[in-house]
Amino acid sequence: MRKTNSIPSVESFPFPHIVVEDFLDEDTLDLAIDALAGLEYSFSESDLFSYWASVELTDIDHPALNVLRNDLGDKSWRNEVAKAFQVSKLSKIDMAAYVYGLGDFLLPHDDQVEDRVIAYSLHLTPDLEDNDGGSLDLFEAGQEGKSNLVKKIIPKFNSLNMFEVSTTSWHQVSEILTDIQRLTLTGWYHV
Amino acid sequence: MSEINFYYLEKPTLSNLNRIFESAEIPFIRLSKFLSKEDSNLKTKLHHDEKIGFYKRKIGNAHLGDFWESKDFLRFLKNSTGFNLKFRSSQGQSYGPGDYSLLHSEEFEKKRLVVVYDFTSSWNFEWGGHDIYTSPDKDPLICKRGPGTLMLTLLDEGDYSCTRYVSLKSESAVKIDKVVFDLK
Repeated sequence: MRKTNSIPSVESFPFPHIVVEDFLDEDTLDLAIDALAGLEYSFSESDLFSYWASVELTDIDHPALNVLRNDLGDKSWRNEVAKAFQVSKLSKIDMAAYVYGLGDFLLPHDDQVEDRVIAYSLHLTPDLEDNDGGSLDLFEAGQEGKSNLVKKIIPKFNSLNMFEVSTTSWHQVSEILTDIQRLTLTGWYHV
Repeated sequence: MSEINFYYLEKPTLSNLNRIFESAEIPFIRLSKFLSKEDSNLKTKLHHDEKIGFYKRKIGNAHLGDFWESKDFLRFLKNSTGFNLKFRSSQGQSYGPGDYSLLHSEEFEKKRLVVVYDFTSSWNFEWGGHDIYTSPDKDPLICKRGPGTLMLTLLDEGDYSCTRYVSLKSESAVKIDKVVFDLK
């Protein structure tokens, strides 16, 4: 179960984003990690990214995943997210799990695909530190497309990061520099 | 002025190169020790060049200067590829730790020959920085780094190229001249 049903105020710079700490209770967290650890992950890489991805988890019927889907996407939470970001009603979420290991990365991009309104990422790796890499970096795109790294969010265990998808939502996952596994449950809230 | 290794100017070699070039799925040749005399200015000043989500690197004048427009080189290209070519542009590029270009960086371009000459030394493949060429419905072409190597790639409309993200752990930088020729 979620430990919280309210969302603190959204930070607006460089684009609207928020971190909800301590999102799940301990029992749910244990169940979630066990369930995600039991999934199969395929290595995916392109010019833009390198990581291990699970299958799409949106429609998989599994007790722990059903709880997670509910905690992240039930009506009352979707309403809370829409209210916090001051966006119109959110209809549904999708989700998949991602593991970033040594050398993996996701280069700057804005996430813009039709119907995506809010991006989210639930972080499930304990004790991640700055020197491990894997931070969520938020950029301001300056004049002529030059990037300005404005904020570096080192993912805290059991924190839910969310940001509004727009033409300015430039972000990246920085390269993993140590032998860790950065596990997240990631997806989007849709129109 | 730089000089082409005599081996690559001999008729049998050129005829062989032409055959290899035409037979590849994405027409491509990779020639090591291409120059017997490398008259390069590796101190050419490069400046930061970035468009977020497209590329981040350094660029400047080509390290081999006018060589890319020389009669000798144009004759070599004609004989090895079989095409009549017209010089379009040349550029010195450097990709250090954290730099990259993505496959849409060139936008849509007409058919062209892309020439890359590699000055990169002491490179480890795990650091990335290799060149990637893609064409619809074909396997991507991945070109590893190699100092003194010349790579010729024929790209069609809708084909793209990029330089793979360079790891923050890289102890060196990719250094290349990238030259583009149009087909006459």
